[in-house]
Amino acid sequence: MKKKAHVLASILALSVSMTALAACSSNNDNGNSGSASPSGSAGSSGSASASTGAKDTITALLPPVSANFQNNFEQMEKDFNAMYPNLTLKIEPASWEDMTQKLDTQVNAGSPPDIAFIGSDGISKYVQQGMLMDISSAATPDMIADYDPAPLGYMKNGDGLYGFPAYVSVQSIGGNKKMLEDAGVDWKSVQKNGWTYDEFRQAIQKGTVKNGDGSTRYGFVFATSGVTSKDYLNILVKNAGMPNAFTTDHKFAYTSKNFLEVLKDIRQMIDDGSMPKEISSIDAGKRWNMFLTGQTMITGKGLATFENSAKQNNAKLKANDGSAVAGSIPVDYVVLPVPTFAGQPAVSQAAVDGYVTFRGKKEPTEEHKANVVKAAYFLDSGKNMAQTNNELFLGQITKSARDAAASMTTDRDPDNLAAETLLESKAAPARPDIPTDLGAKEIKLEDEVIVPKFQALLAGEISPQDMYDAVKKAAIDTYGADGVVQD
Amino acid sequence: MAQPPRITTRKRKIKGDGAWAYAFIAVALVVYAMFTAYPVVSAFIISFQDYKPLGSTFIGLDNYKDTFGDSLFWKSVRNTVVYTVLTVPVALILSFAVSILILPLKKWLQTTFKAVYYLPVVASGVAMSVVWLWIFDPLPSGILNQFIGWFGMDNRNWLGTSATSMFSLVLMAWLSSHGTSIIIYLAALLGIDNSYYEAADLDGASFFQKLRYIVIPFLKPTTLFLFVTGIIGSFQVFQNAYLMTGGGPDNATTMVGLLIFNNAFKYFEFGKAAAQSLILALIIAIVSFVQFKFAGKDVEY
Amino acid sequence: MGLYKQHSGAKPIRYVRNTAIVAVLLAFALATLFPIYFMIMSSFGDPVEAGAANYSLWPQKFTFASYSFFFHYSEYSYRWLLNSLIVSACVMVSNVVFASLAGYAFSRIRFRGRGALFALLLSAMMIPYQVTQVPLYILVVNIFHIQNTYGALIMPTLVTVYNIFLAKQFMSSIPKEILECAKVEGCNQLQIFIRIVMPLSKTVMAVMAILTFMESWNTFFWPLLVTNTMDMQTIQVGLKNFRFANTTYFAPMMAGATVSALPMFILFFSLQKYFLEGVTVGAVKG
Repeated sequence: MKKKAHVLASILALSVSMTALAACSSNNDNGNSGSASPSGSAGSSGSASASTGAKDTITALLPPVSANFQNNFEQMEKDFNAMYPNLTLKIEPASWEDMTQKLDTQVNAGSPPDIAFIGSDGISKYVQQGMLMDISSAATPDMIADYDPAPLGYMKNGDGLYGFPAYVSVQSIGGNKKMLEDAGVDWKSVQKNGWTYDEFRQAIQKGTVKNGDGSTRYGFVFATSGVTSKDYLNILVKNAGMPNAFTTDHKFAYTSKNFLEVLKDIRQMIDDGSMPKEISSIDAGKRWNMFLTGQTMITGKGLATFENSAKQNNAKLKANDGSAVAGSIPVDYVVLPVPTFAGQPAVSQAAVDGYVTFRGKKEPTEEHKANVVKAAYFLDSGKNMAQTNNELFLGQITKSARDAAASMTTDRDPDNLAAETLLESKAAPARPDIPTDLGAKEIKLEDEVIVPKFQALLAGEISPQDMYDAVKKAAIDTYGADGVVQD
Repeated sequence: MAQPPRITTRKRKIKGDGAWAYAFIAVALVVYAMFTAYPVVSAFIISFQDYKPLGSTFIGLDNYKDTFGDSLFWKSVRNTVVYTVLTVPVALILSFAVSILILPLKKWLQTTFKAVYYLPVVASGVAMSVVWLWIFDPLPSGILNQFIGWFGMDNRNWLGTSATSMFSLVLMAWLSSHGTSIIIYLAALLGIDNSYYEAADLDGASFFQKLRYIVIPFLKPTTLFLFVTGIIGSFQVFQNAYLMTGGGPDNATTMVGLLIFNNAFKYFEFGKAAAQSLILALIIAIVSFVQFKFAGKDVEY
Repeated sequence: MGLYKQHSGAKPIRYVRNTAIVAVLLAFALATLFPIYFMIMSSFGDPVEAGAANYSLWPQKFTFASYSFFFHYSEYSYRWLLNSLIVSACVMVSNVVFASLAGYAFSRIRFRGRGALFALLLSAMMIPYQVTQVPLYILVVNIFHIQNTYGALIMPTLVTVYNIFLAKQFMSSIPKEILECAKVEGCNQLQIFIRIVMPLSKTVMAVMAILTFMESWNTFFWPLLVTNTMDMQTIQVGLKNFRFANTTYFAPMMAGATVSALPMFILFFSLQKYFLEGVTVGAVKG
């Protein structure tokens, strides 16, 4: 053991000093040594741009957008290189949760990838850091014209365009067709005409059934554990006359009376017993399990893919090979709109994610910008977009992808498709006009006051009035009495 | 801090030894300087800045001032202290008791128990947090709720209410974080020479007397080590709160580690995060200093 | 093991005592093991995608499908294991060697600046890593340009302060007389370390080896940061790729977690000898 340790130690010491030396030398020739991979975008954007058509590497950090998405990376890299022989696309995979952490570290260090797939709501945060790359001058008119204008608006901030949108995913709620019919809900009419909170409340009261064994089938279960409670609140307040946290004249909206109204209604649904009293720690997986096993009539948030997941489980139940979710029953998933509050119009919550373009410490050259745009457009149009969105049951938002998708088949329920399209048309518009510092303050206010208080409200620890007062006080502290809505 | 250098008469020997000592710690110091000291110094500088990747501005003590005026920071400090007080001493006593109890058993039993207690440490934190989420499922069908149901208690919303969320995290720590301490304690216990016990036996010492006069003094350096590292780890605890509760509900489980993480990454207030880390480090340093003062004299034979 | 009375006392009493001890330990072990049991049990389920939280205490099904699903999920599954193995083994060896050396120096050799240097080392442990990781990332990626190499994965943890502290605390209880004896016989410090300190510290070195290996094996965040291709990822980073937007492949994830815990068991049992032996002064010759 002694000898072994000795030998190992000297080998180790040697290798350490060698790596250190290697690090020094590669430092001198600017990271271009053969074996090392191109060193992030900061290096490549600076050096590889001297002459036209010069070699360039574009890096992209991508999560598993759809189940098969990450399997196609190699093919995408090859296809891109075939299209632009002087360009290399390097895709880094990361899981959804870790992606932000990795990206944020890279951004803080000043060397993010050229392209990252993130939600459009993250744009303002990175703009404030000065780390996004404005591509409005580099994107060709053809590219711009390919995108539907509404989702493209989500990728803007101020005058800048910071990437291309990938899809519009409407976040709504969904119901169990049979249970809805048993409870006397005319779901077809609701899909077309929407419903008010009072109608919704009645429906979920009827949908709540005490089973023989003492367990309860609930009318409505929404995933609200941890940060997902944010989704619940945001989706509801959109339908209470607050399509955004800021009004058009940039006043903070959540101090309005309607906000209190929504909070009271949220508490009421739990107190009615139509929602479980443990709602504050039910997560996304749990509530989907409850939906499939018939423990709830309506669930949220609902995404377009859920129709597909429910169908797959039905098929497994039919096959009866034990691979279906334990205790599940056949379920037809019905897309439903969120009820409206206080007589306000319906506005749906839409998540627009996309390929966002970043810059490194050095000012990117026009050449590099153009190359990055080429890569982003390549990933986010035509066949590549069509495949991904098709898999996710989401609509195509470029003409080229619609053409490419024409030959692909989907097995979508026509009623759901119509309802989804209607919801999409009512999506809250993009708000590139909101200044980044207001946006940043809002994120902090939401995370440090609104969400924690909302969790306490759901757990029954504080009253709606308490929460409203706490939010109002914090909002006035942040934005001043003139910066908030007072009605 | 650890040990005041003592004046000895054999100065020449010390000189030669000193060269050896520096050689022995050379690698450690180089690695430390590069990968630990450098980042710490950077963080120190950043704490006086409004950090931006493309160029920071010096803002003096503003980050510190903001932190001291931030009620959420103090709430998180309180949460962290509560968590530490509830977990570290209990884990220490628990692992000490277990190691003592394992000793008289046959070797194969010792091995088995050690492996069993070590298991939770081995398993990946992420997979474990998923299982713990199942255990703390709030509905009556949840595992822990079924368990307390046997005693006629109603189901509880473990992680969802301020009353029980901290307790749930503490329970998780009690049942999953002692593997390392048990192994370290056992290693130390096995290092006690039998002659001490034999001498005590001759004096007719009882089990508890032996525990009191031999085992506890002998394990002092080990206990100090576990205590100090335990407190450091507990003050920095981040993953459990991050994966299990996200700091909720109503910030009842927001720890300083989580707050620092949020400031650094969610809000990109890196300077403030650095300032908070240094304040946290100072608190830990004071606590550790007290421990060293209290129990720091290395046992010498 | 003379803490317990072994020679005196009737046999039945000892038997009862040991049974009682085993019962207590067993009860505690059950509580400890429960989550692990759940992990392993779920790993034998079907690789179904869904929030299929199923709390039955007994396996409904016993299949290795999830294991094969894990290994077929990505062509790099084996590569991830290999990467983790290489990184953890290097980190383990260098820590055992250099941390014991440093621990010995700090505990048993008097030299100028010892206290101050050690305090300096220790204080660095107190800074939360959330803040140091960005400067560290800048150092490794933007200055050294070694991202996506084993060097980047290994170097920051070549010697950890934790291990130095551990070694120091253990070695401080090596009897002074032995070391002085050796010195009188003309041994220099390196000889003392190799001939006397190392044999006496087998236990702590074994403990250090397993703790370091485990720590390195389970590290997630740093490898995530410094790798950017699938073939350089470690098992922990790879494991996380299982998680999708709204649903999770539970069983294969648990299978992956079980697989990733295996190497540590092997190491644990192969180092078992050193834990159990117990090193006594009498055993040392010289």
